[in-house]
Parts: sequence; C-alpha cells; structure tokens
Amino acid sequence: MKINILKLTFALTTAALVAGCASKGVKNPSGVPVTQMRADEQGFVAGTGVESQDLVAVTDKMSRSIMGISQIANATTAPIIVLDPVENKTRFPINKDIFLTRIRGELNKKSLGKVTFLARDRMAALEKERNLKREGAVTATADPVKQEFKGADYFLTGTLEGLSTRTTAGTSDYILYAFQLIDARTSAIVWEDNAEIKKQGLEDAAYR
Amino acid sequence: MRVGIEANQRAEARATLAPLRLCVFTLKCLPLFVLLLFTSCASTPTHRVPLTGDILVDGPKMIAEGPPRDRVLWQYRSASAAMRRGQFDVAKPLLEDALLTLGGVYGKDAEARKARGLFNKEARKTFIGEPYERSMAYFYRGVLYWRDGELDNARACFRSAEFEDSDAENKEYAGDWVLPDYLDGLATTKLAGDGSDAFKRAKAVAKNINLPDYNPQANVLFILEYGPGPEKYGGGQYDEMLRFRTRGSPVLSAQIKTGSINLPVAPCDDLNFQATTRGGRVMDHVLANKAVFKGTTDAIGDVGIIGGAILANGGHRRNSSADEIGAGLIIAGLISKGFSAATTPEADIRTWDNLPQFISFAALKMSPGEHVVTVEFNDASGSANSKLTKTITVNVPADRDKVVFVSDSSTTPQTQ
Repeated sequence: MKINILKLTFALTTAALVAGCASKGVKNPSGVPVTQMRADEQGFVAGTGVESQDLVAVTDKMSRSIMGISQIANATTAPIIVLDPVENKTRFPINKDIFLTRIRGELNKKSLGKVTFLARDRMAALEKERNLKREGAVTATADPVKQEFKGADYFLTGTLEGLSTRTTAGTSDYILYAFQLIDARTSAIVWEDNAEIKKQGLEDAAYR
Repeated sequence: MRVGIEANQRAEARATLAPLRLCVFTLKCLPLFVLLLFTSCASTPTHRVPLTGDILVDGPKMIAEGPPRDRVLWQYRSASAAMRRGQFDVAKPLLEDALLTLGGVYGKDAEARKARGLFNKEARKTFIGEPYERSMAYFYRGVLYWRDGELDNARACFRSAEFEDSDAENKEYAGDWVLPDYLDGLATTKLAGDGSDAFKRAKAVAKNINLPDYNPQANVLFILEYGPGPEKYGGGQYDEMLRFRTRGSPVLSAQIKTGSINLPVAPCDDLNFQATTRGGRVMDHVLANKAVFKGTTDAIGDVGIIGGAILANGGHRRNSSADEIGAGLIIAGLISKGFSAATTPEADIRTWDNLPQFISFAALKMSPGEHVVTVEFNDASGSANSKLTKTITVNVPADRDKVVFVSDSSTTPQTQ
C-alpha cells in the first residue's frame, strides 16, 4: 500500500514537474524563410515609424494629385520640376529622398511626358562631362559652349511632421506627410496635398 | 515460538524505521527532481564566445556568434567604443541596426513572453536597454547624423532620445534630458526654423546649467562625455529589484583649448540621474510576483518536509496512515522546493557598461581648415588630469557644420 502511494506520488510529481517546466519549444526554431511581400502591405515586422506601405500610399496619392492640377494637365510645354529635399520634422530618422524619388518615378511613369524632372542631384557629374566636351576631350553632338542646363519652373518638396505620445497604454505616432509644388519664379505654392498616418503599439510588459 | 517472537521484533523494527527509510528514499530522489527541473526547462542553445577584453574585437564576435538576445547590447557597446576611437563609420551601422530592433518591439514577442514566465529569467528577453540606454543610443545616432550634415535626421534622433524617457513613473522626470532638447532646437534654428520651444524645454530642465543662446554661426559643435556611467544590480531577497549603482566621476568638467580659445564646459546631462529617476517598471510587478511565488513555494516546501518528517516519525504502528501522509507531505514539500528553486525572479541586469556619466557640448565659430584642439578633463578642484587630456586635429569644412566627439576615454591623438 505504502509502495503504491509512493509510486503514485512519484509519478504525479514527475508529471507536474515536466508539465510545469516544459517550454512549448522555441518559436520558429528553423527561422522564417524569406517572404516576398508587396511594398504596400504591412509585414510581420512592424513599428510605429515610417514604413514601406506608408511610402507607397503617400507617394501614390501625391502623384495622382499632382497630375490633376491645371499647371501640368493643361500645360502646352512640359513644366520642368526640380526636387528639393523633404524636411523631416518627425522623431524618426529616415531616408527622406525616397519619397520624392518615388513621386518622380510615378509621375514620369504615368504622365507620359507631361512633366520633366531635372537631375540636379547629378550636377557634379554633368558639369564634369560638359567641361570634358568643352575641352574637346570627348565628343559632343551639340555646341558644348552653349548653356543647355535647364532652370526649374517648379520645385517639388515637402515636410514630414509628427506628433508622438507615450503612456502606459502604449506608443502613438501620428505623421503628417505634406508636399508642395512651388512656382520657382513667383514662390507661389501652386499645389499642396497631404496624407496622414497614425500608428499605435504597445510593447510586451517585459519592456515596460 | 522463539522464531516467531524474533520475526515480530524484526517487523516492529522495520515499521519503526519506515519513516526514516522514506526520508532516505525521497532524498535519493532529490537529484532526479533537480535533473528533471533543469533538463525539462532547458531549451535555449548556449553561445560560448571567447572574449579578448578588446570591445571592438569582442563586440563584432558577440554580435555575430553570441546569443541573439544580447545582440543590441553588444551593438551599443561596440558603437560607443568605436566613436571613442574615431571610427564613426563603424559605429553608424551598429547603432542603425540596434535602433531598428528598438523601434520594432511592439506586439507579441515570444522571448519577452517567456521572460515574464515563472521559470525563465528576465534576461531571456531581447535586450533593448532601459530608457536611459535607449536615449543614449538615439543621442549617439543623432550626433553621427549631424556629423554627416543630416540635421533633420539628427533632430529626429534627439526627439526620439527624449521620447524614450517620456514614460517615467514620476512625470517630473519624464523627457527631462537637457542636451537632446537643446540640440533639437539648435538643429531647427540651423534649418531656418523656430527652435525656441525646444530651447525653453531644455532651459526648464537644465536647472543650474547655464545654457547659451543659439548661435547659428557656430559651425563647430563639440560633444563631450566623461565619467563612468551607471551600473545595474539586483536588489531584494532574490535580486528581483532592478537597482542602479552610481560611481562618482573623477571628472566633473572639461576645457576646450584651441588658438586663443579657452572654453570651460560644464556637464549638461547626468546619466546616473536619468537611470535612477525612471521609477518603477511594469516588469518590476512581474518580478515581484515571481519573488512572492518563489518565497511561498520555498516556505511551503519547508513546512511540507518538516511537517512530513515529524508526522512520519510520530507513527509507531506498522502500516500507520500517519507514515503515508508524512511521506506524502515530504514529497509535496520537495516538489514545492523544486518549484521554488526553478523560479527565476532575477531582474535583467545586462548593462550598456561603457556609457559615460556626463554628456556635454560646446559650440564654436571656427574658420574652415585644420585646427588642433586640446580637450582637458578636470576634477572637482578644476585641475586637469593630464592622463585624460586629448589632442584632436579638427578639419573644419567650409560648407557645413563640424561635429567633434570627445570622451575622457577617447584615443589620442585623433583626427576628426
């Protein structure tokens, strides 16, 4: 009888110990294979900052919006636009150029030549090439002395502004993406549009 | 007849010794229980990386081969060490990657969940640091952005540095860093914006520090740091309380000397203050509960073992039910002891251990070109410690700000 009780107690003890301590195993012990995702969808890795889906949503909206303005839609000659770097006023350090690069790409793709962008970010290389032509070091198809670098009709620029809150309930980040098209001659803002994205998240209690 | 009496005496002797044998049996089982506890709970691989003591050798090794949960810790340590050696391009990607981890901790996290469990240490979670450590990671990244001429991204980092400190238990100490706010305003001013709000915030928390008005013409920004930063240790009966050990800094101010300039620089922010004014964490409650569980199961174990032994010893008849109950209590007590031993309420005391105590700055207007700058670090009496004096050759560009980063543990001489 005593032995039976002992056996039973021992078996229960072992079961309790194993059940109590058994970890459910390491999550994704073999890792997660590379998953191709669309740039406009939220992946399984996410924060409250600027992410690819925000970039796609914002730049799609902006490029559609610019296309509709009379200065571009009704222009007899394609207006010349220069990109002026976006100013980041949020709390997130980001690659700011990526916004204007995507807007430019979308406009070039969809406007069918209704706008012309100048490669001002390549001026150093362009000037070097022009000087080589002027010196006769390389061939030229036109008179290299003639000034052919174009000036801008408009500047496309923007700002990213943010409001952030952090409480015991979590973190909240609101970002206002505002873009403007500015007349280079008059400084008039001929177009402006914005997009707003708000994200909230709460980290595991272990981090709070 | 005589044989029968002897058999009865032997049986009585056996019955008397039965509780003792039970105790011996249960004690024999103890190693098995311990083994079970450790084997059934162990699920994480061990990472043994031999360390050399040189942070810039050990850091990259630990990042590559060490436990993934410590990756950010080593990135932090390596980045600050690299900056002190003037290897800013080494520090940049380390901080960049660490901040990516820091910015993506929202939502479910399997390791963090396990860290909250009774039988896993808090240190099991991915290290991102306490708020003062996270703030410093953003601060350093901001300094590097400024070095690269990206003032708005630098400002973003300074804002995040303040943001990381915004959840202090006592709101008086929330977002009370001086330098990040001051530099936020300075960056805004240099970007032709209005930095007065940030300046006011910096002034409000600066207390006795005399913050100079912004000078947009000042093109050389000195970021200075000195003194040993805070250390973490576990307090309470089971080391379940996260505590900070502050060490007095032998350096209390600095002096920048170049040409005719002799500029005293007082500290702006004290990391000891920042570490110790955060207040309680949510995790502290979890650890406190773990500690209570550990203590309770330990006490129950003691009661079970002692009570069981007394009960079993008290039963004098063969097949006494008191013996059985006593044995059961001893085993239950041992089980409870086992649970207590397996419970891990220890606070996570992994520390970014090469942080400074003080951070400070000075802004100067200097002509473009090469300048030799001497930075002296002074003790409480204002005397320079010659062993800590740094000589920095500063190349001031014509088209943007120059940021010079100097620590009392920087290598010298350096060219920046």
